[in-house]
Amino acid sequence: MSDWYYMNVVLIQTTLTTLLLALSIQVPLRFGVFSFAGVGAFGVGGYGAAMAMVHLEWSTWPAVLAGTLAAGAAVFVLGLVVQQLSGLYMGMATIAFTLIVSVVAVNGGDATGGAGGLYGALGEITMTHIVLVVLAVVALLQWTEMKGLGRRIDTVREDPELANALGINIAGYRQMSFLVSGLIGGLAGALTTLLRSTITPAEVNFHLVIVALTAIVVGGSRSWIGALIGAVIFVWLPTVLSFVEEWEKVAYGFIVAAAAIYLPTGVLGVAKDSWHRFRTREERARVAAALQETS
Amino acid sequence: MGSGALRRKTLVAGVAMATVLGTAACGSGGDSAGDGGDNTIKIAQVQDQTGPVAYAGLGASEGAELAIEEIEEQGFLGDDVKIELEKYDTAGEIERASSEMNKAMADRDVDAVLGPVSTQQAATVAPLVGRSKVPTVFTQAGGEGVVVNDYTFRVTPPMESYYASVMDFLEEEGVKTASVLYNATFPTFALLGEDDVPAMAEERGIEIVQSLAVQMTTQDFSGQAQQIAKEGADAVVMLLIAPQSVTALGQLKDAGYDGQIVATSVQAAGNIEAAGDNANGLVYPVPFSVAMEDKESDAFTKAFQKKFGKEPDPYAADGYDAVWWIARAIEASGDSSREGIRKGLEQIAGDGFTGAMGDLAFDGNDARIDGVLVRWQNGKETLVE
Amino acid sequence: MQDLLNAATLGSIYLLFALGMALVWGTIGILNFAHGATFMFSAFIGHMVSKETELPFLGVIGISVLVGAVISSLTQLLAFQPILKRSKSQHAAEMRILIGGIGVAAIPLALAQRETRSSPFGFNSSYKSEVFEVLGLRLTTTSAIIIVAGLAIGVGLTVWLRRSRQGLALRAIGVDAETSAGMGVNRPLLAFTTMAVAGGLAGLAGALLTFHLGAIAPETGDQLVIKAFAIIVLGGLGSMLGTVIGAYVLAGAETFVLVMNWGTWVDAVSFGLIFLILLARPQGLLGRKEVRRT
Repeated sequence: MSDWYYMNVVLIQTTLTTLLLALSIQVPLRFGVFSFAGVGAFGVGGYGAAMAMVHLEWSTWPAVLAGTLAAGAAVFVLGLVVQQLSGLYMGMATIAFTLIVSVVAVNGGDATGGAGGLYGALGEITMTHIVLVVLAVVALLQWTEMKGLGRRIDTVREDPELANALGINIAGYRQMSFLVSGLIGGLAGALTTLLRSTITPAEVNFHLVIVALTAIVVGGSRSWIGALIGAVIFVWLPTVLSFVEEWEKVAYGFIVAAAAIYLPTGVLGVAKDSWHRFRTREERARVAAALQETS
Repeated sequence: MGSGALRRKTLVAGVAMATVLGTAACGSGGDSAGDGGDNTIKIAQVQDQTGPVAYAGLGASEGAELAIEEIEEQGFLGDDVKIELEKYDTAGEIERASSEMNKAMADRDVDAVLGPVSTQQAATVAPLVGRSKVPTVFTQAGGEGVVVNDYTFRVTPPMESYYASVMDFLEEEGVKTASVLYNATFPTFALLGEDDVPAMAEERGIEIVQSLAVQMTTQDFSGQAQQIAKEGADAVVMLLIAPQSVTALGQLKDAGYDGQIVATSVQAAGNIEAAGDNANGLVYPVPFSVAMEDKESDAFTKAFQKKFGKEPDPYAADGYDAVWWIARAIEASGDSSREGIRKGLEQIAGDGFTGAMGDLAFDGNDARIDGVLVRWQNGKETLVE
Repeated sequence: MQDLLNAATLGSIYLLFALGMALVWGTIGILNFAHGATFMFSAFIGHMVSKETELPFLGVIGISVLVGAVISSLTQLLAFQPILKRSKSQHAAEMRILIGGIGVAAIPLALAQRETRSSPFGFNSSYKSEVFEVLGLRLTTTSAIIIVAGLAIGVGLTVWLRRSRQGLALRAIGVDAETSAGMGVNRPLLAFTTMAVAGGLAGLAGALLTFHLGAIAPETGDQLVIKAFAIIVLGGLGSMLGTVIGAYVLAGAETFVLVMNWGTWVDAVSFGLIFLILLARPQGLLGRKEVRRT
């Protein structure tokens, strides 16, 4: 067990940071906001933390905090600017933001290390730390999924007019989703960077958007549990697939495509559906039996 | 790229015995942790085998396999000493690199590692290597932050360390003015294009009249080509990645530019073939070329052709020299444990050695070579005298 | 002037690539992220065939167009059609179509990377591009062909969508899939044909671009997808004319940055421009109010 843990400790850490990244995209989606700014936040957070450590010689956690807050602030402001956009137009504008973050990093001179990026920012982060941070984030999101608040968020997404009629401040909710997305994305970036000690502009790219989006859609887009399932699948899939050797990427493509086809609501959705169907059948059987008895 | 492999058939027995004795001394049947079993030395190759930079990892694999075959055949480390090469695919991803690296290092049988080829992957695993104390030889990975502690070694010299030969060539050709066209989002080229080339040009009295930066996603160079043609400098220093180079060469020609074009080792390994006639006359420096005539390089080329039925690329020379460096290290320290290999690598680096890439000298744990200049003509590299 | 001509060539390259994507996205509502892989793989097959035997210009084009059409039809048949069948509405399927496309795209990319070791590849063709000068402007025959082809197909598609019965049917699907089905539009068939045409366009773009650039790499398609996505959104989804304008606006911005020699700021300037245009016109330059969403 401890051998297994030691050999796979990086994969476990990656699963958790990928979960955070996926959540930063999932949160706005749950509010009906098609924003990919979480990936830009990942860049801002990563660079913020690395710069604080390398240039200002801050210790790990103040650096993480600095990166996270900078990302949260940047994305919140972005949210205010682009709030009248909708659908994929919003998606495009937020992707533009992400790419601009990367270009600024390339041209940042000594501050960002230019094209070569920053290195040597190795933080003191243990597994316990990451688990605690992720638990805190997940607890917060669980609260937004429960009862009243969860239903109000669903309404904002599914039927903005109805939400408006119910007196829900849609604009406020959406701005909040940007803030949360920025904070979580920034946290993901800061943790990832300090774990691997380097960050380069090339990482903050469209590919990261795809990774996060794939994890969410395959796992399930309505709940943090779906994002967790997705993160686990996509971080561990290459290990599982390593037996096909050079065909790994081909197999990966087939699996993603098949998941898109056969899991309409993601792994989580399909699991919930079957559970529901199972319960309904039991319930029916019970009712039928009860009816039989009375007749 | 590469470390040298010398095939000195005479040297063998002494130190190889030491290796065997070292193991045996720990008690019959017993196996000291870390020295990889009785007579087997295990090298983990943690490099891209798939994905966009797979060419570097696959090339290094071939070179390493050839080196292992030779070492075993010669009995370089003793008659029954085997070397096992275990491949871990990093698939072009940073996280994969650090996770595969962890796996490799967690295997107590692994004595040494061939580390990732991309600077980013390498810089990420470098601190881990120091922490786990596993001697790691990187191939390629020419950026900063890679050779950072006692356990990190690099067999591929960074491009800027041998780029001076190109500038010497330009000076000899009587070049007075030059344009620089470079990919500023590729770390090595950014460094060369912004700092090293201008500095070296100034020393040689060459004036940089134009410096055009492009980025990784730039695909069409018509505009830059015409600006360069209009400026009409004596030479163009072209620092671009493989597909960009092919396009830029064609478009420079279309724009009517006919001065000397010099490029980088990216053009090697057949990457310039697709440019056809447009690449004729192109000059670039390489750490290794099949055109190299010295004894070791030539022997490597022949042996490689015999084993694989094709010409070796510089990445193969990397893998070959890296494995030979490790073998020499074991021979030198007489100890095939992780710590023994580290000491040996350091010792060999202090002395330098001759490999497929010619004479390798070292700056600390980091290889330095003169490199050779080659000219591309009708699909072949020839040495520039 | 020469700069304008360069911008026109670059714009036409983007346009040729973006047209196929814009066509399927703007009509049958499929945002096909496998378009870049289709583009690359068509050229790749052209490369593989021409490695065996030298091909004339039209031969390469023919092969690439055919391969593109086949890949795209298969994508529709094996991935997008099943996804749509399992969805309650087009809107619910949007995200999964995106991911399905990404999955499909990974397959040809991996195959080409494996075969070429990510080296650039070109064609072995009897066609050689020539340079001619008009009014002091230098232009290669390939760029001339690309400009003409880009504009002709762009305008042609615009007119066809506006004037023809099939065009009307396609636009009807774009506006309201359910009602148009009720009016007798055979949606699956039309969608299949559209995807095949778009694939052919991707193949054409792949062949012409490889001729123009000399060579492309397996990863080239991915870089173009994001630019095409930007162009279509910039022009306004559903408007072919918008796509045409968007392509030239993006190319113009990029050329401008290069002429000013701010090379490393290209993406920031071009995407910054798109960002600003979207703020001023939230539906893109020529986009209609989004009617598909209720």
